[in-house]
Amino acid sequence: MSLEKKDDMDHKGWMKRKELTPVETTFLTALIWMDKRLRIVDYLELLEDLYYKVNMQMPKSHTEQYDLDNKFWYWYPLYALGSFSTLAYIVAAVSGALLGFYYAPAQTGDPSTAYNSITFIMTDLQFGFMLRSIHRWSAQVMVAAVFLHMLRVYFTGAYKEPRELNWLLGIVLISLTMVFGYTGYLLPWDQLAFWAGQIGVEMSLSIPLAGEWIAQLLFGGFTLSQATLQRMYIIHVFLLPFVVTTLIAIHIGIVWVQGIAEPH
Amino acid sequence: MSDHETSDDTRTDGGSPGIVAPDDETPTWRERKERTTGLSRLTYEYFERARREDQDLRTESDYVERDVLAFPTWPHETVRNLSIAAFFTGMIFFLSATMPPHIGAPANPSSTPAIILPDWYLYWSFGLLKLGPLNPDLAILGGQKLTADRTYGVLANVVVVGFIAIVPFLNKGSARRPVEQPFWSAVGVGGVVFAFTISLLAVKNLMPMNVHLLFDLTFLLPIVATTVTYAVLKTMREGYMYDLNRRYYRLRPPK
Repeated sequence: MSLEKKDDMDHKGWMKRKELTPVETTFLTALIWMDKRLRIVDYLELLEDLYYKVNMQMPKSHTEQYDLDNKFWYWYPLYALGSFSTLAYIVAAVSGALLGFYYAPAQTGDPSTAYNSITFIMTDLQFGFMLRSIHRWSAQVMVAAVFLHMLRVYFTGAYKEPRELNWLLGIVLISLTMVFGYTGYLLPWDQLAFWAGQIGVEMSLSIPLAGEWIAQLLFGGFTLSQATLQRMYIIHVFLLPFVVTTLIAIHIGIVWVQGIAEPH
Repeated sequence: MSDHETSDDTRTDGGSPGIVAPDDETPTWRERKERTTGLSRLTYEYFERARREDQDLRTESDYVERDVLAFPTWPHETVRNLSIAAFFTGMIFFLSATMPPHIGAPANPSSTPAIILPDWYLYWSFGLLKLGPLNPDLAILGGQKLTADRTYGVLANVVVVGFIAIVPFLNKGSARRPVEQPFWSAVGVGGVVFAFTISLLAVKNLMPMNVHLLFDLTFLLPIVATTVTYAVLKTMREGYMYDLNRRYYRLRPPK
């Protein structure tokens, strides 16, 4: 038994049969050698495919392919909203990571440190005003895009039969987006933050049986304090990013596997 | 729209999906490549071999190709979206530069502001918390309320989200456009209008109108919108049917 690897596809025999010139033999040997290691066939095939697609004929549009009498071209911009929200999420994540270098909730006692660090970012830090602006606007845009995305999915019936799971996942995601927004605007600890937090505490407390436990868990007590700020901070910058990123990946992955449900 | 459709249910989507074949004159990719000579021809032959080998391996394996009716994400959707990605990112930056955020007064537990509001996207939820007047006083409990008003408000949130969640389990079938499903589209429009009106209810302190009228309109307007949408979409669907019938009779004049 030889240690040498067997040539399953019989490349040598194939080349012998062809009666090649030395130039051709050298070329083919090199090609096969490279291909075995780098799978250039695959890449060249992609390039080739692209070349013909670009040069020979444009792929038929969805409407042409399914002979739809150009009935729904006006839906098309709405099909970008999912990507748009992902994009806004990425912008928010990057700007948020940068903000994280400068923002800190107080370690102990006085939550006004949070307000002071926001003031520092907006008045003293180079580019800080723009940074907060970008973070805030991308968050606003993301929420808006997610809402509109959901409307598009609803009105084009894209949630139907094989896609129920993704619809449910989408509802979890839109809720988490709003939780992201909520925990986010609590962080500056200004009047809006404080009284929005108050509403949150009262909402949790009004839940039967589990209310007090939930208020303790989410807000660190029945009244707003430094513990509330600390928890919102951890939820906003540590917990939610991991959870939401994972869920978005699964959401998009399912779309990728199932395909886009464009109206037929 | 196809004229050979025989089934009774309304089809506004153009009938059976058939992929249009390329022109006869257009040489196929295979034909183009087979015309080449020399090294490129040799490369082509090797590639064809390699592809067949891959195909054989794939046939031997237990890999199953799934057949799901949908449009592929790559390249169609992805290319379209990548092309607008830069524009959208630029738009976010433009908004950030032109409309910078505001920072309010620092938190002060001892001074309640006159108007307490969350960010705009939670107005609907905040509005649902103000549904106390709908919380019934039950006769069997002697005119007492079963739940506290705020519990009722939180419950309203759960009901709304719960209803949205079960929509795919209620609405089946292959209808994809509003005209094809007047009922569900009308429900959707009603929902959107309700989201707006309940948001306006949330900011009732800022609304220059009678609070009772606002409360009534919050529930009346969605119903009106639902009815109007349903009527319009039904009519549009009749229009499609009329178009279909006219074409049908033009092809086959009645005896």
